[in-house]
Amino acid sequence: MKNSTLVFRSLGIIIFLTGLAHLFSFGVSAGGDFPTSVTETDQETIQHPEATKPAENLDSNTQSGKETDYIIDKWKVVYNTDEYKGAIVYAIKKEGTVFNAYTYQYEDENGYTEKAEGTKILTITSFNASKGKGIYSVAFEGEKYKIDCKIALVDENTFTLSYDYYGYTDVETWKRQ
Amino acid sequence: MIEFLAKKLDWLDVQYWFYIFNDLSLFYIIVPFFALELIRYAYLKRLDKDLVLDSIANVVTFGAFFLIEIILGILAITKVYYWVYNNISLPHLELNWATLICCVLLADFAYYWEHRTMHRIGIGWATHTVHHSSPHFNMSVAYRFGPLDAIMPIVFSLPIVMLGFDPILVLLSEVFVQVFQTLLHTEIIGKLTKPVEFIFNTPSHHRVHHGSNRQYWDKNYAGILIIWDRMLGTFEPEKEKVVYGISQPINSVNPIVVFFHGITRFVKKLRQIKGFSNKLLAFVKPPDWMPKP
Ligand SMILES: [Zn+2]
Ligand SMILES: [Zn+2]
Repeated sequence: MKNSTLVFRSLGIIIFLTGLAHLFSFGVSAGGDFPTSVTETDQETIQHPEATKPAENLDSNTQSGKETDYIIDKWKVVYNTDEYKGAIVYAIKKEGTVFNAYTYQYEDENGYTEKAEGTKILTITSFNASKGKGIYSVAFEGEKYKIDCKIALVDENTFTLSYDYYGYTDVETWKRQ
Repeated sequence: MIEFLAKKLDWLDVQYWFYIFNDLSLFYIIVPFFALELIRYAYLKRLDKDLVLDSIANVVTFGAFFLIEIILGILAITKVYYWVYNNISLPHLELNWATLICCVLLADFAYYWEHRTMHRIGIGWATHTVHHSSPHFNMSVAYRFGPLDAIMPIVFSLPIVMLGFDPILVLLSEVFVQVFQTLLHTEIIGKLTKPVEFIFNTPSHHRVHHGSNRQYWDKNYAGILIIWDRMLGTFEPEKEKVVYGISQPINSVNPIVVFFHGITRFVKKLRQIKGFSNKLLAFVKPPDWMPKP
């Protein structure tokens, strides 16, 4: 076989497979629940080499267990940023095998409350009663992003939600309402 | 279907799946299968000292290879791969079924070219000849590696990282291809059904690859898919009974001799070659190349 034939066929194969991967990564959206532009998990793998070992404690099956159901409740988060000062109450519901958090109520600095539209802002994809992972919607400079986040239990009435999105990091404290 | 392929996957899940196949298959496929092969050898009255020592030598070379791989792996994967990934790569791909499958297929294609290179350049064959030097063909032969076998895969998988695939995913895919390939080293399984033999690399195709019969030289380089060989002109079906080994047998089961015989022969050849540039050429020219006198 001619060398040029080898080169053309090989390039064809590589371009086809790479194109397909990029198409499915950036061109096709798999519905609202999962973002298409998040590669945050890559960074996690770098920072936590132990994550290359399968972690049995993050088995998503454990979500079906009753011991994780205490998270189904209303949770309040106080914000004090330039964009928003006040508190938001979220309602966490169990839907299928995941937990979803919806906006429930806004409270401004003066304690005035307003019912929220009930937008889904968080999906907890895996949770073992003390630690978990999820996808969190944040608004930043008017743009909405869906990013990977981690949740960690502090006590039975408090957990933290943390994320690191290309250097934009934050930790929120969620208090049981 | 498209929804399914584009659905984002959890890293931990994917790593767990690879762990089940890449790591645990040793216990639930490879070791039991090798035991079966030993029983077969015993039944055929072929289970002799040479075979046992040959198998031990195979495992020893794997130990040596693994040590080199780990040292190189730590250096190359953590440093070079991530540097390439963060500096000279296409936009980073997310993890979904489509990117996972494409990554495995690209790793398989890279394996094809890496393997072909190992056969067709002097320094490549100096290390890869170790894998081919056993006169036997069983699961343990799959573990027979040469001293530089760990280097070439790194060179060939870096381009995949440049295409936007996560370095860890690329690494796991490479091991996946290697483990699939391991399972083909057996005489127990004859030819599979036509469609399977057409698409996939099978024990039959890989027996041909290990043949010292002239028509079987440098054929069937595939890892998982034999279609790469079919597309790139290196396919050869198994017809004549395969005689395993290399054209100049080593006649040794000493692990040290086995592990280094390719390098030793290559150094000897370099000594015979006159002129510095000719010596350099010997590294990249085909293994049977000699400068014209
Ligand atoms: Zn080979
Ligand atoms: Zn082989």
